[in-house]
Amino acid sequence: MNRRNFIKNVGCGAMGSTTLLSSLTSLGALNGLTNFNKNAPGEDYKAIVCILFSGGIDSFNMLMPTGTTVNGDNGFSEYLALRTDLAVAQTPSSFLALNNPQCSSFRGQNCAYSAFGVHPQMSGIRDLFNAGKLAFMSNIGTLIEPILTPNEYQNSLKKIPLGIYSHSDQIMQWQTSVPQSRDALGVGGRMADILNANNANNGISMNISLAGKNVFQRGQSVSEYSISDNVDPNNVGLQSFPSWWGNQGLLQEMRTNAIDSLVGQTYSNLLQKTYSATAKESMASFEIFKEALKRVPTISTTFPNTSLAGDLAAITKVMSVRQQLGTKRQIFFVNYGGWDMHDGLLGGLNGKLPVVSQAMKAFFDSTVELGISENVTTFTISDFARTLTSNGNGSDHAWGGNNMIMGGAVNGGRIFGAYPKMDLSSANNRNISYRGNFIPTVSTDEMYAEIALWYGVSPSDLCYVLPNLGNFYSYAANNYPIGFMNFNQSPISTTNHPLGCLNY
Amino acid sequence: MKTLIIFTLVLCCFQSTFSQNTQTFGKGNIKGVTVNASSNASKGIKTLMSTGYIPNPKASSRFLSQATLGPKLSEILSLQNQGIEPWLDEQFAMNPNFNLQNYVQNMHQSMVDSLKLQNPAGNYTLNNVFIDDWAFDVAWFQANMVSMDKLRWRVSLALSQIFVTSRISAFDNNPYALASYYDMLNKNAFGNYRSLIDSVTYHPAMAVYLTYLNNHATDTLAISTTNQTKKKVFPDENYAREIMQLFSIGLFELNNNGTEKKDISGKSIPTYNNDDIGNLAKVFTGLSWSHSRYLGDNNNVNDWSYTKRLKFFPVDSSEKYTRWWANPNTWRIVNGHEPGPKTFLNQTIVARPVADGQLDIRDALDIIFNHPNVGPFMAKRLIQHLVSSNPSSEFIDRIASVFNNNGIGVRGDLKAVVRAILLDPEARDCCAEKENTAYGHLREPFLRYMNLINGIGLTNQSGIYRNVMVDLYDRIEQKPLYSPSVFNFYQPGYVPGGPLQAAGKVGPEFQMLNSLSFSNYMNALHKWIISNDPIEYWSIFNNEFYKSDQEPKFNITADYVLAKDNRIKEFLDKYNLILAQGRIKAENMSIIQNVLLSMPITFDINGVPDPTLADRRLRMGIFLIMIAPDYLINK
Repeated sequence: MNRRNFIKNVGCGAMGSTTLLSSLTSLGALNGLTNFNKNAPGEDYKAIVCILFSGGIDSFNMLMPTGTTVNGDNGFSEYLALRTDLAVAQTPSSFLALNNPQCSSFRGQNCAYSAFGVHPQMSGIRDLFNAGKLAFMSNIGTLIEPILTPNEYQNSLKKIPLGIYSHSDQIMQWQTSVPQSRDALGVGGRMADILNANNANNGISMNISLAGKNVFQRGQSVSEYSISDNVDPNNVGLQSFPSWWGNQGLLQEMRTNAIDSLVGQTYSNLLQKTYSATAKESMASFEIFKEALKRVPTISTTFPNTSLAGDLAAITKVMSVRQQLGTKRQIFFVNYGGWDMHDGLLGGLNGKLPVVSQAMKAFFDSTVELGISENVTTFTISDFARTLTSNGNGSDHAWGGNNMIMGGAVNGGRIFGAYPKMDLSSANNRNISYRGNFIPTVSTDEMYAEIALWYGVSPSDLCYVLPNLGNFYSYAANNYPIGFMNFNQSPISTTNHPLGCLNY
Repeated sequence: MKTLIIFTLVLCCFQSTFSQNTQTFGKGNIKGVTVNASSNASKGIKTLMSTGYIPNPKASSRFLSQATLGPKLSEILSLQNQGIEPWLDEQFAMNPNFNLQNYVQNMHQSMVDSLKLQNPAGNYTLNNVFIDDWAFDVAWFQANMVSMDKLRWRVSLALSQIFVTSRISAFDNNPYALASYYDMLNKNAFGNYRSLIDSVTYHPAMAVYLTYLNNHATDTLAISTTNQTKKKVFPDENYAREIMQLFSIGLFELNNNGTEKKDISGKSIPTYNNDDIGNLAKVFTGLSWSHSRYLGDNNNVNDWSYTKRLKFFPVDSSEKYTRWWANPNTWRIVNGHEPGPKTFLNQTIVARPVADGQLDIRDALDIIFNHPNVGPFMAKRLIQHLVSSNPSSEFIDRIASVFNNNGIGVRGDLKAVVRAILLDPEARDCCAEKENTAYGHLREPFLRYMNLINGIGLTNQSGIYRNVMVDLYDRIEQKPLYSPSVFNFYQPGYVPGGPLQAAGKVGPEFQMLNSLSFSNYMNALHKWIISNDPIEYWSIFNNEFYKSDQEPKFNITADYVLAKDNRIKEFLDKYNLILAQGRIKAENMSIIQNVLLSMPITFDINGVPDPTLADRRLRMGIFLIMIAPDYLINK
């Protein structure tokens, strides 16, 4: 008795059996294809890649002002005076210059400077930026509604994110974009709820995680499928019995069947239910994933030997078999942690930022190789930015900061939002602490809304994906939330999948 | 009040089993005592309590699954005779008798001695022979194989996941740091919470992990007489934040029953804001290594530096040492500890000379200790670790009250708290799970491993085990003091998607469960029990003679006789009892049994099962028991 028949016979849950069967059928249908990894002209495929920098990256040491014009753009001097022993360099020429970054203004906040550079270890990022494939967003953070002045914050005239400055809350809120709640679904999960219907095959979740369980990918009807960075068919699912046992095949099948049955039983205890649901879904996915991975082509882009690059390389491999997986929309999640640099900040950044830069560059190049660079948009998130002032050898928790968006469909080479002034005086209406903590100017909602519109979420479905978005933005033709995506190849979707607006 | 509640539940359960004409009540069995439902309540309870709970095998196994890292059959049987309360008394009376740091050092010394034997000319000492962090794991495993104070080790494992420090840090290869910290947890496990947070605060492993070692007072003075640029340095806020968020009071004000207090508009009330953090950060300034000559001294730090209580420096006199050649008048002598008053949690630590700065620390820990959140906060966390992810508010209330006052006016008595948790009707009662469909908790991966080690009764001749648990961590991503962050392997408020979320319940350990970890666990289990490779032995120095006895395998030969078709059920019942507390339901037992029956078995002329085939049947059985959802959820 083979596995397929077994499941059919014992009928262990309608969901498990039908999805598995339909998946195997569609796999069979694709067997004749040979060159599926290349993007066929007009292929409807889009992927979002979320890179989490867990711990709170000191992003004002990733993107820095470089101006030294007294009474003009004197950004570097202001940076140096504020960051003191945390300044990455004593001269602006040490930074890697960004060509004409066009930092302008956002919601009444002016960009404080015009000349910028990135950390000396980020040449890959500099190259992507200057080639127009990467944009920065400045002073972005968790917000429920716009906060325009320190007074509005200090006197709670506007709603303040729950657990502000706390890792656990802020890391969650960057993933949910619902800072007033501790039990919201994730942005990626809610997008998947809307768009999952586009995928022919639901054997493998469209949300694939390289970082295990995460809030970002959790939706109402979609949850993540976790994989390891070792994307190899022999590394999926249950390992074989020792050869000396004999009858390996039969034993394996019996064991698999028994596990399917055990986790397929009905349980009344909610913890048992939750466990068996994950186990059942996983058991059903292993076979499909394993089969698909047998078709991964040789990828010639070289990835560095780092954990982040390994994770991103794994994503490239999975995207290369998107047709075998029967998926047109995918959302990937990666975590590269270790940014909580209360101590050893400069050395820490010297160690980690090149990893980021090289990995992201290699990943972009690999999407070019697969012919899908315009179909894949990658962005970075982190708990929060860090205090501008030093605690001796590091920085502490703050709020608004800078992040990156990368891809062929990104209007790269620009800094969006409004880079704040390196100034802790009362003249700076972004600052709320003697330590240098900035109120974000751009909300996570606005960034996600722009990505969602590009990804194919219709304007009327945005209120499901981003419950607070109405506080910042409402859709009108050619009026995009921020402007960092290029919509030429991606017309705004008119297909609504109404799930109703969410309220928290 | 408490005893009455117990008795009510006792009666309800007693009635339900009385019809079967057994002496079982709840999950307990009273020897030689006749109680019936009409007994006078107070008389009945006294009779029962004179010997305490005498549990039946399943109840015994269940209790030990909460109070230890997993029972052996012999322990289940012995507890049945002893009774739960005498067992607790005995456990509480034992002093911590296994010192991890000593064990690490002895192992280290034996490395040195052996190298000297190999090469008498070599100058080998503890200081120049490297010992890696896995020496701590070897010591930890050894302790758990030989120590009798099982309850203490269960509680200290929980504490290690609340007061989190981790080798994913600057001391990633220092077994002494880990051992010393864990010994400290063991020492305080049945002590007072106030002493515990003092010991945690002054432990270098925590100070390095949460970056307050060499933490310095605010400094905005000119850099030097020749460089008038002002410094702009403030105290590190890391520990100030995490000691409140994770070790004591949490983010929001709590009622004694663990629910969040609400303001008039129905919102939760934050316990502190960023100003509180800034002020408390000023308290934790001036602490450095015990051997430091000045605040900021990072010279001569060695493995043992991490084992000695931090030293306090009121003043930063570093230039005396770093610019010893300069004119003393040019030395920049500034405050090490922050002067002035510090206000946090609506209380003010008065200004005092910086020389008395340790009194600031004392006062701050007192303020934290006396915050009304600590009782419900600690109660909930310990219950979640030992018993159930979703304790009722009544359960939390009862335990928090014991934390607030152990009965003789002492606040923070952890022994009383642990006892109260394990004896609480909600922990002991058989009926609670029927009313509460979110009862129990997912066994965390490392506990499953220890369940298996204990349950199958891994043993050897020498009583010495060398288990580095390196491959184990790669597979299950969990072992003591290896958390990915100060937020532990999983967070107490984690809500997995699906039915728990729909019911508004949490499932902390589910944060570690996903399709990948699920297959990794199955494959780890495969390695341990199917491939019979439960221990990972590494040599401690080059050319060490392999001590095979220290790498024992599971020996289940005594059970082979149960591999026969007609006795397979006995075998499965036995391991259902030991590993799953008898909770695997009949349908699942038949699924497992059918697999085993369909595996080949042959017999010799005396009817003795073929050992190889018997072995395979039994191992497959244990494997499947430990995959079953009714094993994985311990309720």
